This record gives sequence, C-alpha cells and structure tokens, in this order.
Amino acid sequence: MMRGAPHLFFPTCPKLTACRGHGTYMNPLSTSIIATVAGNVQKTNKLLSVQPLRARYTPEIGDLVVGRIVEVQSRRWKVDVAAPLLAQLPLSAINLPGGILRRRTSADELQIRTFFSEGDLVIAEVQSVHQDGSASLHTRSLKYGKLRNGIFLAVTGTGGSGSSGSNVKGGVGASSAVNSSLAAPGGSGTGGVVRSRRQVWTQETANGGGEVDIILGVNGYIYIYKHTDGADAASSITENVSISRLEEMASSTIYSSQNDDISPQTRREIARLSQCIQVLVQHGVRVDEETVTGSYEVSLQVDLEVGDDEDEEDEWRQEGREYLEGAKARRIIELLAQRLVKQKDQKKE
Amino acid sequence: MSNQRQASSASQVPHLSPAELSYLYTSLSLPKNPIRPDGRSPTQFRPLSAETTILPGTNGSARIGFADGTQAIVGVKAEVEKTVLAADTLDSRSLAQHGDALNREGEEGSAAVSGQGEWVQMSIEIPGYRDDDALPIFLGEMMRESLVGSVEHKDEMAGGLKARLVINKRWHWRLYIDVSLFLPLDLPVSATDIMQVLLLSQPLSYPLPLLSLTTHLALLSTKLPKLKSTGEEDPFFDDDWAAAEYLYPRSKPSSGAFHPVRPPVTLLVVSVGENVIFDPNREEISVADAVLAISITRSHDSEALKLLSIRSIDPPSRLTQPGIPNSENASMLGAAPTENPSQEEVTGVWRPRRGGIKRSVVARMIKTVLGKGGVGEEVLEGLEGVEVQ
Amino acid sequence: MADRRRVNGPPGGTRPPVFASLQESTTGAAQRAQRQRQPAELRKIFLKTGLIPTASGSSYLEFEPSASLAAARSNPKSLIPPSSALKVACTVHGPKPLPRSAAFSPNLVLTTHVKYAPFAARKRRGHIRDASERDLGVHLETALRGAIIAERWPKSGLDITLTIIEAEDDRWWGDAPDSHDASWGMMNVLAGCITAASAAIADAHIDCLDLVSGGVAALVSDDSSKSASSVPRLMLDVDPAEHRSILSACVVAYMPARDEITEIWLKGDSSKAALEKGDVRSSHEALIDGAVDAARGANTVLSEAVTESIARSIAQA
Repeated sequence: MMRGAPHLFFPTCPKLTACRGHGTYMNPLSTSIIATVAGNVQKTNKLLSVQPLRARYTPEIGDLVVGRIVEVQSRRWKVDVAAPLLAQLPLSAINLPGGILRRRTSADELQIRTFFSEGDLVIAEVQSVHQDGSASLHTRSLKYGKLRNGIFLAVTGTGGSGSSGSNVKGGVGASSAVNSSLAAPGGSGTGGVVRSRRQVWTQETANGGGEVDIILGVNGYIYIYKHTDGADAASSITENVSISRLEEMASSTIYSSQNDDISPQTRREIARLSQCIQVLVQHGVRVDEETVTGSYEVSLQVDLEVGDDEDEEDEWRQEGREYLEGAKARRIIELLAQRLVKQKDQKKE
Repeated sequence: MSNQRQASSASQVPHLSPAELSYLYTSLSLPKNPIRPDGRSPTQFRPLSAETTILPGTNGSARIGFADGTQAIVGVKAEVEKTVLAADTLDSRSLAQHGDALNREGEEGSAAVSGQGEWVQMSIEIPGYRDDDALPIFLGEMMRESLVGSVEHKDEMAGGLKARLVINKRWHWRLYIDVSLFLPLDLPVSATDIMQVLLLSQPLSYPLPLLSLTTHLALLSTKLPKLKSTGEEDPFFDDDWAAAEYLYPRSKPSSGAFHPVRPPVTLLVVSVGENVIFDPNREEISVADAVLAISITRSHDSEALKLLSIRSIDPPSRLTQPGIPNSENASMLGAAPTENPSQEEVTGVWRPRRGGIKRSVVARMIKTVLGKGGVGEEVLEGLEGVEVQ
Repeated sequence: MADRRRVNGPPGGTRPPVFASLQESTTGAAQRAQRQRQPAELRKIFLKTGLIPTASGSSYLEFEPSASLAAARSNPKSLIPPSSALKVACTVHGPKPLPRSAAFSPNLVLTTHVKYAPFAARKRRGHIRDASERDLGVHLETALRGAIIAERWPKSGLDITLTIIEAEDDRWWGDAPDSHDASWGMMNVLAGCITAASAAIADAHIDCLDLVSGGVAALVSDDSSKSASSVPRLMLDVDPAEHRSILSACVVAYMPARDEITEIWLKGDSSKAALEKGDVRSSHEALIDGAVDAARGANTVLSEAVTESIARSIAQA
C-alpha cells in the first residue's frame, strides 16, 4: 500500500471526485480535488482524503501517550506529547493521593510540584481534543501516573505510516500491514509507533532479566521499565490489608520518584530492548508489540550466531558486542522479516 | 534565550526526570562493566560516516554524520593578509635599525617568524544559539587552542600550523574555519519545536567530538595555492589549482605514513562513579560526575601520544532536579513533608552532583586516552583510515 | 568573535610611544624582568571582602607586583612598566528572584560576567565582551558551580561580576607576539578571579561546600641559548613577563577540604618536562599537582580574608 504508486498522491495532483476530506483542497474555480500533502489516498464512500506519509502526532481521544512535563502552572501541567501543541494535564484530572474519589483542595494546588514536576515522565490518556488540536490528558486510573525504574526513548509517532489508524480500526488491510511495514528496509518514513490493540505489555526477557514492561505511547514516546507487581509491592509494606487499602497503597506509589532495586541483568535487557526499537526505527519498520517482541527474540539469536563466529576475538571486542549496529542490525531485520512472513502464512492456514 | 544563559553557559541541560537520572547513573556506575543505554562498551565510539573535499568553493572541507542524524560540515577558507608587526617588538626595531645588516639577517629573520595564533579563526554555528553565546565561543576557543598549540616536527612542519601560515615576513595566510552543525533529522518535528522553546539540547549529543573530528578532516584536505614569488616580494600565486599544496603536507606514498603531521583531535570523556566513559551521548553526559575535553596529537619524537590541552566542562548533572525519597514524599501516604530534606544518599533517588573531581580520577581519565593501545590511539588510527582525496 | 550587530570603531587602541633608542640605552628599561622567587614560591596576595556596600557580597584581590615592577615604579626609567600585577574586583548580587519570564529552576541559577576594564591591558580593550572574556566566564562558572550548594536556593539567581582592573601580560612586552603563542596571562587572571569570586560568595553568605581557590603552575624554559639542552622546569604562580618561553600551563580551582578539583584548564605541550629523579608522575600530573599546591597557598589567604570579614560583621552587629 505504501509503495503502490497509484495510491501515492503528491500536491497539485488533481482528482475528480465528490467530497473532499483531510489533506485535500478544492480550487473554487474548478471541481477537481487537489492533495495538499504527499501521501496515500483513502476513499470512504464518496469522501476522499489523503493521509500524509510522515506527519506529526495528532492527538485523538482515548490515545495512550507518554509525555514529559515541561511546565507547571497553578492548576495544571503542560506536557510535551510530541504533538504540535503542548497538551495540558489539569490538576482535576489526576488521582489525588489518599483515595481515588477525593476533591482537590487548595492545599493540593500549593503542592502541585510534589505530584509532577518539570522533566517528569507521565503515562496518560487523551481525554479530549480541543478546537486548536491540543489535547487534554487524564491519569485517572491506577495504570497511569509517573514513570520510573526504566529508560525513555523517542521515535516517530503515529501518522508515521499514516494509514495505521484506519487500517487497524477498519480491520481492512490488516494482513497487508505486515507486508508494507517490512517490505521496505532502509525506506524512510514508514517506521514509528502505530495505534494498535496493545500499547502496553510485559515482556519476559532472557539472560535472567526477569519481566520488563514496555509502553509504546501512540505519540512515539516509549518507556521500558522493570515490571513491578503493584499488589506485591504494597503487601510487602503491610502484611494484612483490605482491598480498598491495597488500592490506596498501589496508588500512592504513582507519584514516587525513587527507583526500586534493579539488577544489572534487568538493566542489560532493558538496554537491549531499547536498541531493538532503535534498529526497527532506523530501518523504517513499524513499532508494535509484534515487531518489538520479534526483534528482541531475533536479536538474542543473532547474538548467538555472532558469538560463534567471533570466538577468537579478544576480550575488548566481547565487551562491545551488546551494541547493535551495522551488520548486526541488518541481520536482525532480515530474520524478523522472515519470521513475520512465516507467522502470516501460519495464520492463513 | 534567557533561560539558556541561566541554565548553563557551557553545557546543555536536557530535562530528565529524577527517576531517569537515577536509573542511568546506577547503570553507568556499575563497577567494571557499566551498562550504557545503547549497549556500547565504555570505550566504544558510535559509528560515523565521513567525507572530505565536499565544497568546491573552499580551500578544504569535510562532513561527518552520526547515525542519529547529527551532522557537522566544516569549510576552511584562507585569505592573504598583510602582517602587522607590532611596534613594541624588539625584533622589528633591531632589524630596522641595522639597515645594512638587513640582508644578512633577513634570511634568518624570516625563518624566525613563527606565526601567530590569531591567524587561525574559528566560528561555530549551532542551531538555536546566537554566535556570541557562550557555548559556541567556548567550543571554538577550545579547538583553536589545541590547533595552534605547538606541533613540532623536524622537517615537514616545523613550528606547527602557525608557522605554516607565514608566506614571508610581510604577508601571511589567515585561516577561517567555519563549522555548521545540523539537527538530527529523525527527531519528531514537534519535539524539536518544543526543544527550541525550552532551549534544551539541540544536537542529541554534546557536539564537541563531532566538531573536532570534522575539523581534523577538513584541515587535512585543505590546500593553499602554490607560491610563485620568492623572498620578501608581494606574494604571487600559481593559479593552477592542481599545483596547490596541502596545508598539512603529505609524504610520498612510498614512505609509509601518508600524513607525517596531523591536526590534533579533541575527545570528550566523562566519569560516572568509578567508570570512565568515551563518546557519551546526551543522556550519559547529563548524569556524569565530571566531563573533560582532552586534546591529543601524535608525538613525532616518540611513539607515545602527546597531550595538548585539558578543559573541564561544567557537568549538567549539577543543575538537575533532585528526586524525593519515598519517605519524604508529601504525595505518598503516611509521609510528612520535611522542612529540611536530608542530604544523605538513598538508593534509587537522584541527587544532583556536587563538588569536583579527585585528582586520581583526572589521572585515570588521561591515562585511558594516552595509554599504549588506549582510546586515543584507536581514534587516530581510525581517522588515518579515512581516505582524504 | 567580533560584534557584528553594531558599527564599531577601529579595534586598535592607543599605546604609549616607544622610542627605538631605548633599546640601545643602558638604563635597563628594555631588560626582561627576572623571576626573583623560588620555583615553588608564590606571589603575595592582597584580598579583602566587603568593599562595595551596595552588593550583597564583594571582594578585591591584588597580586604582589614583581620585584622589577616595584623597582620600576619607585624609580621609573621608562614609560613602559616591565610587567604588570593582577587587580580584580568582584561583586555578587543575590540570591534574588528570577525574572518572571524565566523557567522554574530547582537550583540557584548562577551567572558570571568577566570583563576587562578598557585600560586593564597594554592594548585597549573594548566595552563589549570579546571571546576571551566570555571564555573566562565559562571557566569561572564551572569552577564555582561545583562549590555552591545550589539546591538551598531554589527559584533564585546569583549574578557574579568580575572586573579586571589590571591584567597580567601574556608575554614580556618586548617580545614579538609569536614568541609565546598563547594567552598565558589569562590563566593567571582566571586563578585570581576564582579566588576573588569565592571570597565574595562567602561574603554574601551563600552555602558552599568549601572555599574554592585558583592556582597556576607552568613549565617554563628560561634558557636564552637555543641549545636543545635547555630543559623546562616546573614553577608555581608564574608571571609570563618574566620568562622567555612558557611551554605549558595549568589552572585549577581546588577545594582543600574535599581534595577535589572543580575546574581544570591545561594547555600546551607538557611532554618535555624534567622532573626530579625518582618522580614517577607523568609531567601533566606534576603540572596539575603544582597548580593544586598553588591553589592551596591561595586558600590560606582566602580563609584569612573570610575570617576577617566575619569578624567585621560580628563587630558591626
């Protein structure tokens, strides 16, 4: 779909149809519809729209995003979500400590920095989108809050492949997605996080790394961190707690900026996962659960291959072998493509 | 702009959360085997692509790009300029006085003119910074200082770069080295916009090593027109570009080393905990205890590398936001906010770095660069591998 | 880098006239000053705090003039003084609130300005800060930021302004500009600035880890004969006008109580140094250690001056 020339429209490429949608305009003197961005044409009944090949993240209601606080105002935070405008997170849209259903007080306003401060990373959901395209976020769930115990990386967000939204939502071309995203290694603009079924999952890692959580923000901000079982953590503090108390305990850690103990093995696997995502992005492959999990497993396999080849290498070389670049990265992409095609075939059968 | 000046003049301050800083610091300070976010070993450099002589309008040029899209382009321009002999130099006065001895002393005199450091000018353009902001000036001075620093070589280039710029006693070359730095192209557009507003770091890494390596290659490819006039005449040049001579002379291919003399290279070294880490990226610099820029060159008397300059750079970790231990976090249950936050370290909680570096750490950082088979040699060997047309 | 936004006058300044016959004269005016001190002997430092009442902290620092300069002053033989001695005034303003437009800062925001007075050096300096002054500002900021405990003063700013009233020479005035290639005098100026600023910060009662002081050590070769046998020697607190050639120099900002360096600036070729027998240190390590020793020396003056300033404020209270 991406590479199909008939579907690719560049500006000033007129097309005669009925209704004009996003990414098009109509010359008042004629009836032709002209694309304003270069991208894929989408036709829904009579509505004609062009999805740009590579674009900024445009927030939509319900998107799971990772954001960075850039400014603290008196009753809200301004959050960088990689959109053209900063998103806002009102104080009224967060879970206040000491119970989920508590009214915010002026005391909360005064100590607003104790919840989130400049530089903090948050995971949140887009609650509403304003007229100007800026988003309002909320963190009113135990799943959301401040991020810790891991590392952050930014890749291109959705819109990167443009058609992702409609493809997934409509269920049309779900099978072609595998083709399109992997058919273009080295291609540009096709990589990035796409809206998909699961943006957050727990990855079981090798080499004693334990469980690692991955958040793929729809906006292209990614966070990889050590998995902690909220209930476990809470019960380790107090032995016998009621269910409601348990919830409070779990919610209380959402504003913590103290990292738990993380073993070197876990740290190493978190670094590997982050590199795998970088490799995907550099080769223009879409980033979702399937490709991340796939590339991680493949990278372990590639390591074994390389390890066999370079037995004679000196110790210094061995140290740097966790760095995935060049030939290693290409090998990972190659194996990943084979693997995904195989999975697709299995599904067909 | 004001924000940036307040933040730090010499270094860029990425906004990272205390939790991220603490995670990075602990990973990088793991004894013996630090875990870098991109999996490199402590002394491993990022791969880069390089090309030289890319701009026909310059005397020499080079481009280096990293995989993340950060790029630097350097153009070297040379201009002929009249040497102003300062009135307060005894040399000139004594020469003028003993007029009859001028011819005899003339030859000796022109050999004695050893050039001035001011003849090399360097300007660096970084997106988002004005040309009189402290960062570009600091970087420019740092690189100029090691460039004009003495590089003695017996036959090929006595007196180093400065002396090479002398045409005769009255004329010299002025060398303009102009550096442009480019943004990573892969960054989401909106993110860069926001960065500009906040004046966070524009390039994804501290630009120094990139600038230094690019300048190195550009100078190696720099040619000056061949001089036709002799002695103290007004200079007159051969207009055949093919006959032009390299600023840094090249030896015949038969005699082994292609470039007997090479410009110095500046490396960025950080220390985190007990570890010494090379070619740090932005995140790694932001948790470093100490950041040093070390300039080295090959010594011609011996095999060892020669140290030309060291400059400490203000580590951005001093400006970061501290983390709050759970026990003092007002938004946590059962914890009362305390008036005076405790100063002792709690594991997993970030504390901005305070104080300086121990001398032993400085010594270790220098040793890793200069030592036999150390990082310095490796970098210079790598650069020697880049073919300069 | 030149100021490109304004139309500036010619960059050159005026200098006292020098007559060629001076060189022939036997008055000794054109004689290079000789170092009278031992290699490890420092110049005396005058340091006093609290001289500027409108600032929250201030200090004034002066280096002892060299023997030849003192002699030339009492009995002038020439219009040209043989060397110069550093004089620095430092003011500290703050902590004060950040401007409304500034972003939130959890730490004290430090700004340093180093400015040569137009008459500070032999050549007139402009009123607009040039590259070397900005460079000095960055060095000074690095040196001080390591010592100040910045999180004690969130959301506030501290302005430190240093005025160089008399600068050190980069070389002897009679030498050609190429004989010493670099601005060695600037390193002495930086060391003086660090010590002066530290005193002024203490005078302004800003929380610090320790008093940080600056020191300089250099490798000099004084041998006038151009024989290869001349070996550079390590000297502390050098006056560049007293030496024929400085090969390498190092400035450090040092905190004695923690034995830590907050700023280091080393330049030049230090590989040819002749160390004492049995000294296993490499020459650059020796140079750094020398600079630290010089900084320790300056620190005794510094702590004395700070004690004096406290005694004075107690007396006033």
